[in-house]
Amino acid sequence: MSALTPLPPLPKPGLGRSMTGERVIAALAPLLGLALVIALFYAIPPHPRVTMLDLQTVFVHMVIVGIAALGMTFVIISGGIDLSVGSAIALASVAAAITLAGGWQFAFLNTLHLGWLNPAGAVNAFGRVSPILAAMLAALLTGALCGLYNSLLITVLRLPPFIATLGTLGFYRGVAKWVSNSMPVSAPTHGLEHWVRPVPLQEWLPLAPGVWMMLGLGLFLAAVLQRTVLGRYTFAIGSNEATARLCGIRIVRTKVAIYVLAGLLTGLAGLMQFARLTQGDPTVAIGVELDVIAAVVIGGGSLAGGQGSMLGTLAGAFLMAYLRNRCTVLGWSNFVQEMIVGHIIIIAVAIDQWRVRRTER
Amino acid sequence: MMMRVGMCLLLAGLTGCEAKPPANRESGQGTTQPAAKTAASAPAKPLRIAVIPKGTTHDFWKSVHAGALKAKQEFGPIDLIFRGPEKEDDREQQVSLVQNFISSRVDAIVLAPLDDKALLSAVRQATAAKIPVVIIDSGLAGEVGKDFISFAATDNYKGGQLAGERIGEVLGGKGRVLLLRYQEGSASTVERERGFTEALAKVAGIELVDPKRYAGPTRATAQEASENLLTAHGDVQGVFCPYESSTFGMLLALRSRGLAGKIHFVGFDASPGLVEALGKGELDGLVVQNPMKMGYTGVKTAVDYLRGRPVPPQQDTGVVLVTPQSMNDPEYKDLLSPDLSKYRE
Repeated sequence: MSALTPLPPLPKPGLGRSMTGERVIAALAPLLGLALVIALFYAIPPHPRVTMLDLQTVFVHMVIVGIAALGMTFVIISGGIDLSVGSAIALASVAAAITLAGGWQFAFLNTLHLGWLNPAGAVNAFGRVSPILAAMLAALLTGALCGLYNSLLITVLRLPPFIATLGTLGFYRGVAKWVSNSMPVSAPTHGLEHWVRPVPLQEWLPLAPGVWMMLGLGLFLAAVLQRTVLGRYTFAIGSNEATARLCGIRIVRTKVAIYVLAGLLTGLAGLMQFARLTQGDPTVAIGVELDVIAAVVIGGGSLAGGQGSMLGTLAGAFLMAYLRNRCTVLGWSNFVQEMIVGHIIIIAVAIDQWRVRRTER
Repeated sequence: MMMRVGMCLLLAGLTGCEAKPPANRESGQGTTQPAAKTAASAPAKPLRIAVIPKGTTHDFWKSVHAGALKAKQEFGPIDLIFRGPEKEDDREQQVSLVQNFISSRVDAIVLAPLDDKALLSAVRQATAAKIPVVIIDSGLAGEVGKDFISFAATDNYKGGQLAGERIGEVLGGKGRVLLLRYQEGSASTVERERGFTEALAKVAGIELVDPKRYAGPTRATAQEASENLLTAHGDVQGVFCPYESSTFGMLLALRSRGLAGKIHFVGFDASPGLVEALGKGELDGLVVQNPMKMGYTGVKTAVDYLRGRPVPPQQDTGVVLVTPQSMNDPEYKDLLSPDLSKYRE
């Protein structure tokens, strides 16, 4: 979009500035919001206590949205958006399930009489030797391909990300239904379901393995975002694409990398989705893209690009899962929770806007 | 640096909450061990029982809710929480609900599982946390007595049989009968279809037309499938549909062709539109389940278990055939259009 404007707007203040008090407050804002919500819910009679089991459950419930939102943070910081996340999660979970069910059938390959050269045979053999690794590869590969396709539509066809991923939202959902015959694919889980079991089987682990994976990825990606060239380029493109181009950043290459990275994380979220349902359901995660985007926005990401943090995103995802848990504990209906989450998003963005106006003054 | 400070704050916030003085939950744990509690020392503290339907929009689940409230009135004090996913295919949300109820330490869970496999690990987690689970309406691919304590549902095979016998009766034992199946992999309706076809097979003069076509999940998909079927098999004398939405879709298709009331038609479940059609004679019969009894039995079973009484592993909640002639009988009237207002909280 900004590539079309003749005069590039001034870069946003804050970019490239040293860590001032302002920025620390900005980074901590999502956490303060989180603390506020936790305190608010505790203030409501009959003061439901937050138990360890509650925390374990909430963390497990945020895993899928959280992992996908880590990738979405990159996309949103770069000024893009990915509406196809929910569908890609469903597709990746179906791909993982088919791999675990041990049956990639490529009819057209079988007709070629490739013998041992037939890749389907190798894929299935690998699936038998190391089922979990094969399922993970299938999910990650599916996610990465989804991300790659999105990025090509955005860079080569020059579609706005909103439109490109609105199209692939339908496309990936359709593919998921096609490869699964519109039916949930049941498969042996080989212990994958324990990755997202709220109370881990290993008693020394306070949180489920899937949660640790998400937190580890969050730390790693925060470092990528702050310390690596890819991370800085992401901020630069999102802050001002034209300026970034003039500075010599290869926009296309960087965007492809961002969307493929987001796709990999979406694929991992799909694997976690399979683990939760113990089946690959092609109709799962409808509308999850909105939760994922909301997590990033609540965490301080700006849909205009150039702003966002991994820590904030995880706090946002935690906040939404926490709200669902509390509303259930308090016996409130679903609509109450939707009304609250809606306004948390509004408040988060309003505070952000106010802060931006203040710094610009 | 910034990140590290943040993580510390996050952790501090969380552990802070956790360290809050423990509330009196001890009594809740005692109730999960039936042997430890005798019926004589009935708990003064209300039992917290969560009822999780497949969805919250259908009339069927409103009746289940009414039945649960009836049990609450009879066996109280009970703190009843009725909460389910909004869409009847949202397995993820139902799994989350079960887990949230585990974490909030309800005393028992009554669940109508959306899927016989996807809900299994969540139910096992509840059982591992010593929260008894009663399964209602649809089966779970687990073991009764080990993964959950009891299964209360309609005898679907018998429901299909009743429909088959009714069709045979109204056709006078001869004719061609069309079956519009509901959906692949839906255990309850497959049983109904099996009961129906096996009942028809016993009537020598009746030929079953079963093109293995499926109505799909909504009234709209059922209407489309019905129109296609009636185009291909317009010469049948009887029709059966094993589900509320497919019965309604077929009714719409018959009406649009002017065949309603001319072709003998038996459907499943009661909804205001279908009851009206039954009154007009457009339907020769409706096989009606008893969702109120389902909700009632679910909660009653949970209460019995928590109070240390034995519970049966399988319970039939009843299924009957209602015809245009019998629909005004008081006992059927309550099934067709239950008066839920007296059970409102």
